[in-house]
Amino acid sequence: MRTRLNIKLYQNIKKIIVILVILAIVVVVLNFTGFSKNIKNFFFLISSPIQKSFWQAGKNVSGFVAGILEARILKKEIDNLHFENQELLGQIVALKELKKENETLREALGLGLEKEFELMVAQIISKDISQDSILVDKGGKDGVLSGWPVITGQKVLLGKIGQVYDRFSEVILISNKESSFGAKIPEREVDGIVKGKGSFNLYFDLIPREKEISEAELVITSVLGGVYPQGLLVGEIKTIRKSDIEPFQTAEIAPLFNVKNLDYLFIITNF
Amino acid sequence: MIKKTLFFILIFYILTLIQTAFLVHFNVSGITPNFVLITVIFINLFSPSHWQKAFSAVIGGFYLDIFSLNNAGGFFGFYTLILLGLSLFLKIILGKYVRLPVIQKI
Repeated sequence: MRTRLNIKLYQNIKKIIVILVILAIVVVVLNFTGFSKNIKNFFFLISSPIQKSFWQAGKNVSGFVAGILEARILKKEIDNLHFENQELLGQIVALKELKKENETLREALGLGLEKEFELMVAQIISKDISQDSILVDKGGKDGVLSGWPVITGQKVLLGKIGQVYDRFSEVILISNKESSFGAKIPEREVDGIVKGKGSFNLYFDLIPREKEISEAELVITSVLGGVYPQGLLVGEIKTIRKSDIEPFQTAEIAPLFNVKNLDYLFIITNF
Repeated sequence: MIKKTLFFILIFYILTLIQTAFLVHFNVSGITPNFVLITVIFINLFSPSHWQKAFSAVIGGFYLDIFSLNNAGGFFGFYTLILLGLSLFLKIILGKYVRLPVIQKI
């Protein structure tokens, strides 16, 4: 009886070892031959129509659910909106004048986005479960190259192209832990480094301690590092952390984009 | 056996698509529950078949590897190994220390 049990146990262990060895070989082959890229591209290709539908459905349902959940605070918001509406009406008149002026300046200086950069439009297909990278429907066959910056229509920086597949590309968001680039607060000429913290969180590091910064100030990309073009919107300062013993201060940044509300984005192909 | 294999392949494929394209809209403070992982744990806890336990871990991990874009520096097989390790860990823990109600055919 005991011998039979031992034989069974031995056979089971043998089976497990064989399976593990096969798996290890498959993993090594896929990683070192680059064949995993082809497999991923194939799956993205066959899944993209379904993923697009799921993405759209998720967007609609989450909007509906959020509306129900926030019903209680809606009334309060309506009151606030009425008040804001009055204020905004006043501002609209002033802005109309500014718009005219702005349009004239844009024409004169060529500030239009399409004039400033060469752009390629891409649609979001899915988001990584680690949340800080997304998949778009433009890839190597469309001429996309790794490292190209990705922005929204409002000139807000989203990130850069990471892995490029034949018909799809990964966009590494600026909130990704691997992301870091030079940025500045234009109003105060304060330079620093923006680093990703994961889960859509960013922080502004290496700001000299003697520099004064305050909350809600806008952070834009700078020429330092050369990763992104200068002047793209990054986010606004949320909280500032300053210590007497450290030579630099840091600040948390609230990103200006919300991936949930995005459908299309722009890849900068030349800057 | 073949039917169950195909069923697992299809179910985990659909689950991964839902996970990456639908559920990402329902995150709570930036966190989305990983339903592929939850399903693998559930199968490993309650399924009587050792084959089902291991296969669910491998196929779940495989799909996560395909549809995750930036895991462990692009190392393909990361989730497969993690889920297989988890399956083995649960097998050892459940076998030695826990007794759970197992769904069996009458």
